[in-house]
Amino acid sequence: MSEAVTVLKLGERVPDFELPVYDPVKGDFGKFRLADQIQKKRWTILFFYPADFTFV
Amino acid sequence: MGGDIITISTDTEYVHLAWQKSEKELAQVRHPMASDRTGKVSRMFGVYDADTGLALRGTFIINPEGVLLNSEVNYYNLGRNIGELMRKFKANLYMAKKANEVCPSKWLDEGDKTLTPSATLVGRVHEALNA
Repeated sequence: MSEAVTVLKLGERVPDFELPVYDPVKGDFGKFRLADQIQKKRWTILFFYPADFTFV
Repeated sequence: MGGDIITISTDTEYVHLAWQKSEKELAQVRHPMASDRTGKVSRMFGVYDADTGLALRGTFIINPEGVLLNSEVNYYNLGRNIGELMRKFKANLYMAKKANEVCPSKWLDEGDKTLTPSATLVGRVHEALNA
């Protein structure tokens, strides 16, 4: 069952979200939270792509 | 530069680890590689492809207040230009400091000509850009 999600619009505040990450600097797994970026007053660039081990 | 880049695909974080360690093109990667396994965040940004379970090539710039300011989405076969991403990011940084200025189409980097919208600029953009 999938929940309906309203797609974000430009100018809208992005709701907080959290994703598991691999951090190559630490060489370990961790978590990314948008709220941490806001707290640190940092810009965030989200770069989505289809799949690892592919090209382009 | 006051910003952080996060890459996101629907692969698990284990695949990210394996890929970053095996692909020499990624040896210099320093940013977190996020896993959106369920596609929940990809759906929030409108890039989830339910037919494939993969995310389209979307780039989104969010300011320090959490507001979404820029979006670019390409289909699978077209890579994004990193120079263009940096141009947009730098423009956003600049305009956050100079809230009354806007960056026109030829703006490439700090120091390039900007416009200051006002009633006197209406119909006079050519003169302003070529002053």
